[in-house]
Amino acid sequence: MPTLPEIGLQHYLFVGAAMFSLGLIGFLTRRNLILMFLCTEMMLQGVAITMCAFGAYHGNMAGQAFTIFILTIAAAEASLALGLIVLLFKERHNVDSHAWKQLRG
Amino acid sequence: MLGLSESTATGAASPFAAPALTVALCVIAAVGTMIALPGRSKTNALRIAGAGMMGLAFLTIAILLIVWAGKSLGSISYAYFWLFAAVSLICAARVVTHRLPVYSALYFVITVFSTAGLFVLMWAEFLAAALVIIYAGAILVTYTFVIMLASEASGKGMISKIAGGEAELPDHDGVAREPVVACLTGFGVLGVLMFAIFDRAGGLNAYGSIGDSPAMTQTGSIQDLAVYLFSEQLVSMQVAGLILTLAMVGAIMIARKRVMFADDERLAYEAETVVGPSTPPDDNPHSITVSGESGPRAKRPEPELASLD
Repeated sequence: MPTLPEIGLQHYLFVGAAMFSLGLIGFLTRRNLILMFLCTEMMLQGVAITMCAFGAYHGNMAGQAFTIFILTIAAAEASLALGLIVLLFKERHNVDSHAWKQLRG
Repeated sequence: MLGLSESTATGAASPFAAPALTVALCVIAAVGTMIALPGRSKTNALRIAGAGMMGLAFLTIAILLIVWAGKSLGSISYAYFWLFAAVSLICAARVVTHRLPVYSALYFVITVFSTAGLFVLMWAEFLAAALVIIYAGAILVTYTFVIMLASEASGKGMISKIAGGEAELPDHDGVAREPVVACLTGFGVLGVLMFAIFDRAGGLNAYGSIGDSPAMTQTGSIQDLAVYLFSEQLVSMQVAGLILTLAMVGAIMIARKRVMFADDERLAYEAETVVGPSTPPDDNPHSITVSGESGPRAKRPEPELASLD
């Protein structure tokens, strides 16, 4: 029988929430397109911590299974986003999101 | 169900902190992040002070958590939780506030490692391994690759002191966009989430220990996960595989556009050497199009096949 961690559910939920918020701030403030997507990955990781904590709290595997799907989506998103960023960089030689301002319409 | 009822009995009575205190801590952390974000007129000492403010707010929240949980720093895994949580949050803050993109990516690697540690504490060993392999091994390597491929100082830059030397920093890395609004938004979200976590969680509003259910500790956790995934989540697994395939096809399509771009450049270069059109242009759709056409879908003679023979 391993030593049980004496940490409550809310501790993990707070870490997940704080990581989500920091990723949100990074997504809003950074102007580098690559870093914006990196901060999106960080938000996904905060959600993954939350999912896993709820799964461990309820004692079933749903949280971990959902985290695996989050990892899948993150991998797909990273491949597509980085391909797009390389394409955009070839077009304008810039990774500044302000260079694509006219996309706002 | 047992965990829910007994934890409701033990800890539902004590509130986490006064709402005003939570709001004040969030505002302090927001102001600290605002100062710590890169900007044109910010010195390094000022940004360190902002990071200190943010760290102070999070430290206060940690102390409140300890007091609220009513436990002392006794158990060894308790210490591991605080270690991993502190490292992951500090490095997450560095990802957001660091000026150089490569350093941000490397700090994110440390965040991934400490998150994997948190997963191990939650009895999710397979996820910890998968996180290190997929995130730190694949995604972050790709990110670093793209950062180094697509980093080019453009336009007017600012001079920044980095590791003793001075380096030219492009404007989009050195100046944050709308730091006030973004920090208020982010820490507003955090305050609302904290309110939901600590005050309005209903049956979960209690001190429930993670990982003490028999299913998580007695049998192999990875085996249970595999059985769950391939029995109850079978359709979701297939959809996940479909999404990965679609992403692969999409990435190949994006990469193909790049190849056509290079192909067009070569054709444009060749078109300069062509004196005149080889066939007279007309509106007949079955005729071969003019050589030197720059459209990617245009029909054109294939000189490289002829040269191969």
